[in-house]
Order: sequence, then C-alpha cells, then structure tokens
Amino acid sequence: MRIERERMWGFFEWLFQQGGLLSGVLLVVLLSALAFTVCYLVAMARYGPGEGFYVVTRVIYELFARDLPNTSCKRIFAFAKLAFQEAIRRKVLAVMAVFIVALLFAGWFLDPNADYPAKLYISFVLTGTNYMVLLLGLFLSCFSLPADIKNKTVQTIVTKPVRSTEIVLGRVLGFTFVGTVLLVLMGLLSYVFVDRGLRHTHEAEEIAADGMSGTTSFDSHHAHTFNVNPNAVKEAATDEKKGHRHFVEITEVNGQRVYSIGPAEGMLEAKIPVFGSLKFTDREGKEADGLNVGYESNYQKYIEGGTLCSAIWSFNGITESLGDELPIELTLKAFRTYKGDIVTGVQGTIILRSSNGRVESERIPFVIKEFAVDERRVNRKLKGTVDQVPKELDLYKDIAPDGKMEVIVRCSDKGQYFGMSQADLFLRAGQNSFAWNMFKGYLGIWLQMLIIICFGVMFSTFLSGPVAMIATMTCLAIGFFGGIAEEVARGTTPGGGPVESMIRMANQAGAMVDLDLGNDVLEKSIQGVDTGIMGALYLLTMGLPSFNDLNTSEFVAYGVNIFEGLVARHMTMALGYFVLTAIVGYFFLKTREMAA
Amino acid sequence: MSAVATADQKSASQAQDTDVIIETRNLGKVYRDFWGRKKVNALKALDIEVKKGEIFGLLGPNGSGKSTTIKLIQGLLFPTSGRAFVFGKDARDVSKNERIGYLPEESYLYKFLNAEETLDFYGRLFDIPASTRRQRTDQLIKMVGLDRARRRQLREYSKGMTRRIGLAQALINEPDLLILDEPTTGLDPIGSREMKDLILRLRDEGKTILMCSHQLADVQDVCDRVAILHQGELRELGRVDSLLKVRDVTEVHAKGISEEVKQKIVDLIKNSGGEVMSVDNPTTTMEELFLDIVRESEQRPGARFGSK
Repeated sequence: MRIERERMWGFFEWLFQQGGLLSGVLLVVLLSALAFTVCYLVAMARYGPGEGFYVVTRVIYELFARDLPNTSCKRIFAFAKLAFQEAIRRKVLAVMAVFIVALLFAGWFLDPNADYPAKLYISFVLTGTNYMVLLLGLFLSCFSLPADIKNKTVQTIVTKPVRSTEIVLGRVLGFTFVGTVLLVLMGLLSYVFVDRGLRHTHEAEEIAADGMSGTTSFDSHHAHTFNVNPNAVKEAATDEKKGHRHFVEITEVNGQRVYSIGPAEGMLEAKIPVFGSLKFTDREGKEADGLNVGYESNYQKYIEGGTLCSAIWSFNGITESLGDELPIELTLKAFRTYKGDIVTGVQGTIILRSSNGRVESERIPFVIKEFAVDERRVNRKLKGTVDQVPKELDLYKDIAPDGKMEVIVRCSDKGQYFGMSQADLFLRAGQNSFAWNMFKGYLGIWLQMLIIICFGVMFSTFLSGPVAMIATMTCLAIGFFGGIAEEVARGTTPGGGPVESMIRMANQAGAMVDLDLGNDVLEKSIQGVDTGIMGALYLLTMGLPSFNDLNTSEFVAYGVNIFEGLVARHMTMALGYFVLTAIVGYFFLKTREMAA
Repeated sequence: MSAVATADQKSASQAQDTDVIIETRNLGKVYRDFWGRKKVNALKALDIEVKKGEIFGLLGPNGSGKSTTIKLIQGLLFPTSGRAFVFGKDARDVSKNERIGYLPEESYLYKFLNAEETLDFYGRLFDIPASTRRQRTDQLIKMVGLDRARRRQLREYSKGMTRRIGLAQALINEPDLLILDEPTTGLDPIGSREMKDLILRLRDEGKTILMCSHQLADVQDVCDRVAILHQGELRELGRVDSLLKVRDVTEVHAKGISEEVKQKIVDLIKNSGGEVMSVDNPTTTMEELFLDIVRESEQRPGARFGSK
C-alpha cells in the first residue's frame, strides 16, 4: 500500500510545522480579498464607486453585527428539516435500491479466488459507497436553492425574519443529514455484504497417522494445512492462505481426537504501524539518495544488490510493549536486471543497529516476497556484535536502550535491486478494531460528502442548478486529480505545460528533449504562457480540497489503522471549507435580489 | 441634553411606528439586463404612506409597477433610487419581517409538504414555540377551510386551495401588517367574498393591510385608500369614497313608488333645470346573484334549474 510522507504527519506537525494553519489562513485571506474585489466591481458597476463601496462594506458589517448574532439554531433546524423532507419526498432513497442492485451484481464479478479477497471486497464497497454518496451530495446540494429561486418559493422565505446565514447553514445541515442516513444504511449493508462474502470455515480432513498434522477441506477456493505443537496439543493454527488463518481446537471424545476449525482470523484487521524515517546509502556506504531505475513514479527508490547500498529506517519509541518477537512488515519491490533464480527469488538481509551504530545484530537473511505483505518476526534474543565484538544481544536492552533503533535492509544479489519507500517497512505496534477502522474510513467519505455539499450550496447561491453542478464537479475533478494538476503546475512533469505539450504532440517531439522551435523568443513566450496557466492551476489545487487525501478507504482495505492525526487533520480541513463556503454563500445570497 | 434628545427621538420613532406603517421616499426601480443595460423603468419616484389600521390598495394595469412596489417594500428587490421604510426600518432590514405577513402573487409554497407541515415550517421561521405553533396551525387551517385536506401534499391542491393555504401561511405570525399581492385571483366567488370579509375583519382588529390588485371591484369593496399606478408612475392617490364620488350626478334610491310619482319626479327635475340621465330599476351584481343561488342551494339541496 502506498502511504505518502504527508499522510504520516501528526496533527500538530501538520498544523504548525507543515503549514496547515498557514495555508488555511492564507486561503481565507486570499479568497476574502477576491470575493471583496468581485463584489465591489459588481456593486461599482451598478451603484457607482462611492455607493458601491458603501454597499459592500455594509454587507460585511451586517454579517458580524446583525446576521451572525441573530442567527437562530431553531431556524437552521427548520431549514434542515425541510431539506430532509424534500430529499425524502423526492425519493432520494431510490439511491439505496441502486446500491443494493450494485451489491447483488458485485457478487458475480468479485473474484473470491483472489489472493486477498478481503481487500477486494472492502475496497469495492468503500469505493462504491464513496462515488455514490459524492454524486448524491452533488445532486442534492446544487439544485435545491436554484429551484426555490426559480419557483419563487424563496420569496415566502426571505420575507420572514430569516437570515441568509440560516438559509445556507440549514441547507448544508439538512443535506448532510440525508447523506449521513444513506451512508449509515450503505455502511451496514456493506458490512453484511463483506462479512457474508468472506465468512467461511473448514472441516479437518486428512489427519496424519500420529494426529499431529492435517489438512482442511477445500472451501471458498482454498484449503489450509496445520501442524500441532507437541507441547500444546489442545490447540493449533493453520497456515496462512488468502490473508487469513484459522485456529484449530483439539478435544478428546472417547479417546478420539476431534479437530474443530474456527472462523477466519486476520482477514479483517487494522494493524497499527510504527513508521521510521528512511535514508539511503550509496555503493560505498556513504549517505546518498536512493536510485531511480527508470520508473516515472518516484515514490519508491531503489538500492543496488551486492554492494554497500542500503536503506536505513530509523525508529523511535522502541519499547518492550512491541513483544518478545518484534513484528516487522515489509512490502519491498524487486527490480531485476537479469532473470536470476526464479524459484528462490531475490535475496536480502536485515540488520538491526543501535542509534549510535555500536551495537549491531547479525544479518538476518530473507527472500523478497513480492506483491504481498511479508510479515516477519525477530526474536528479542539475537546474536550480534558490540563494537565489532561478538555477543549475545537483547533487542530492547542492548540495541534500543534509548528507544531508538535502525533497521538496515540490503539486497544480496548482485545486479538486482530492491525498491522501497518510507512506508514499505514498519513495525507493527498492535491491532486496532476493524469496525472502528471501517468507521474512520466512512468518516473520510462523510467528510468528502460534507465538502461537496458545502461547495454545491455555495455555488447554488449565485448560479443556476446545472451550472452550479458543473462548477462543483470541476472542484471535485480538480480535487480528485489534484496530484496531476499540482505536478503540472509545479513543472515537475517533463514535457512542459499545456501549450508546450500541445506543440510537442504536433511536432511529435518526446517529452524529454528540449523544446526546439528554432526561435528563442517564441519558445520563451510559450513557456511564459504555460507558467501563467500552471500558476493559476497551482493556486486552484492549493485552494481546493484534495479528495484523494480525504479518501482513506485504502487503509481499511489493506488492514492498516487510519492514523488519528490524519483523521483530525481531515476534520479540521472539512471544518475550514465549511466555514469558508458558508461565508461566500452568505455574501452572494445577501447581495442577490430574490425577486429579480 | 442628550437624554432629552434621545427621548425626543424615541417619541418621534414611536409616533412613526404608530401612525405610518409603510413609507416610500422617491422610490424608483430600473430593471437592467446582465450587462447592466437599462431594460425598463418599472417604478418612478414613488412617495406613499400607509397608515396604521387602513386597507391600502395599489391599483393599476399589468406592468404598472404594483408588484415591483410590493417587492421593494419587502426587500425582495433593491431600489435603484430612494428608500422604503416599514415600521420605521429600512426595507432591507430582516427584523421588520417579524411583524409582516405576505401573500405573494401566486402561493409559492413547497409542493412536497402538506398543509400542516407548511404552516409548521413557516411557524418555525418565526421562532414560534411548538405548542403555540400547533394551536395556531390548527386554528388557521380551520379558518381557511382546509380541515379535510390538511394532510394532503400541496401538489394535489387546486388553485383556490393553494391560495387559502398561502393566506394561512401569511397569518401564522399574527402580523401587524399584511401584504397581499392579488389576494382574490384564483378564488371562486365564495372564496373571493370570504377573502374580502377576512380582510375587513383583520382591519377591524387593528391590522394594516397593503394589497395590490387589478380586480377593480375588489379594490372598491375593501380598500380605504388607493394609489393608482400607470407605467411606473403614481397617477392618483386618495380615499376610495371620495375618489369615486361623481359630484355633479345625484342618485336617489326609493322603494314603493308608482309610475305616476316617478313621472312627477322626472318633471320636477326638468322644470328646475336639471337633466335626467336615466330612470331604471337597479340590477344586483353577478356576485350577489351567485352567492344568493349558492346560499339557497345549500338550504334546499336537490332543487334544479327549471324545477319549481
């Protein structure tokens, strides 16, 4: 699973060190300035420069002096209730029928024979719910207010003691409530769907003559084997297949051993990872950046095999609570320059080292497990060296007495490469409840929905329904493809901006060669125009919410606990957009002639 | 000194509050298109005052600026020139709406709500406590005669029924000022008469009513004062009875006189230099005739035209 560095930030780290607060404040200031300028220009055209200024400042004064203090929760609630009634009477619940049908059909197409069926099922239901709820939010929020204005119903509203703040907030609240109800229903249905789709057990078959090992029946497209530990003959565990295993309970009835196999374990989980910071060394063992083997994505960097190239993760907070067997999880990638030994795979070693570098464990060899999570356990008692002198070591007392430790990974096969990112090696600190993790995943969807509704309601205060929908969809698209837009905007993607790449396409010039039109001025001016477009695009991506970041369903699917810091950050962001859109919506509603 | 001044201001505003409910000063409205180009000058420099406890009618043909005036007074439109005051507050001040009830041209209500929900919703907008809201909802539904349709969605309502629920909606806050835009359109003669009776009753309760209409008979029936607008300009303003009085024509209503006496009266007028314009038996109005028939039909169900 890909986890970008940004996602690992703690809440306060994001807020203060990484500029979360700063960019939020900047956004508010910029947008307010923009809104003020636009409003002033419109008012100036209508009333003249002096009167126009008075009109705009009066709206701002009224917001703080009259409308905000007099905003009534009861009226907001009345609008929310109305929005809810409207949605229900307009048969929004039909969406549920579509969802149920989608689930029924999904049963045909989701391959239960996949390597990780749990991942498949969970990402399907979460992605399905996500798209559905976002579309629903889009349609609900964009059309309601313009319809009211068109039907003139709004005239009976604004002639009551109703503040513009209440109209905006009431709608956002009402639609969010509708969305929440549907989301809860979809969540419950999804849970049942996933649970029913994955739940299975086996019968014990083919027990060895001594009764110490056996095979299970072939159910749900797989069978397990198990061995009984002679020291603990009451219970055993099967091997791991398709991301889970079963516990076997062994009882004696009339002198005969009876093997009963329990439900699948470890299929639906939420492991809590401890990440370290990652650095690389080059072939001489000096600190350097990781290698790029030619992939466009720079997410994973590579180390060369058979050299001193290494990837070093530095961890903090290593305590005995991690257990006698330190759980390390790896998702490394192999890049081969020759076919090599296909049966054994590319080999590497892991070394645990103290933070001062004096204490080092001996090399722990491993064979890379590609396209899967490699769960390893390192016993706390291990052999190693202290200042190059061999010694028996204890992981917590000798290597990490200060709670710090380095994990060094090297590739042993000459000419082969290992690829890794920061998230590709972590210590498993424990397990969180899967249901809670799923809830957090749904919370992420809910926040996305809230933001869409906020934008929809904001646009609908001054645009007609379809136009408001297109505007909201544009925000959604930029939010979803914000990564690409940002890369283009920053100029990190080769090939230049929109005009330059268009010319390259026409000239059939590759993205990596310099732009050559035989005219310096022309080239410079094209690139200048591109910089302008990219700058605007960059500002847009900065200002709009990144829906990819808000989407945490991958965590749930891969069984990784969604970091609390990430959840807090998303909630803060959503709150920020809520306030921002509410203010903008208020201004447009306030300055609009309702009967015009 | 300043205390005296504030006291003076207070009493002035109180006086304004008690006497003049609506005031427009040089009120004008120019409709413009998207590019700011002038489309139509809908209202030109209107100065009117509506006093407490009167029924004030705005009269005029289509497009004369009646609805524009009403919308400007409520802050639904922003004036291009001049200002409007309601209860001494600017027309765009939301808090004035606490004491206003508004029945728009067509009852623009939420079609997916039923009568009870509609009144409950509008009651909530006034922050009326739940128990009062329920009581008033019930009372108003009975008053406008929608008791049997109270749980039907408004989309199923006929035009007259929609009008009635619209009126109930306008009365939910027991307003001091009632603004009615074409109150009788869409109503049958009975409904129309009931509406007019209600308007008069509300006036007697001390409420002020501003209505606009092009149904001249309605205006004549209920309004104390009227303003006649044409092409956005005020053409006439005054009390209905004095406006309608034809000063050089005399009308005599008498009962039980013979043809002979009639002839004598005609002769007398001619001899004294007057001109007899017509001598006729008065006709009743269509409205009266219709209401009589309906009343009778309710008393004698089953009687048909032609049957004795």
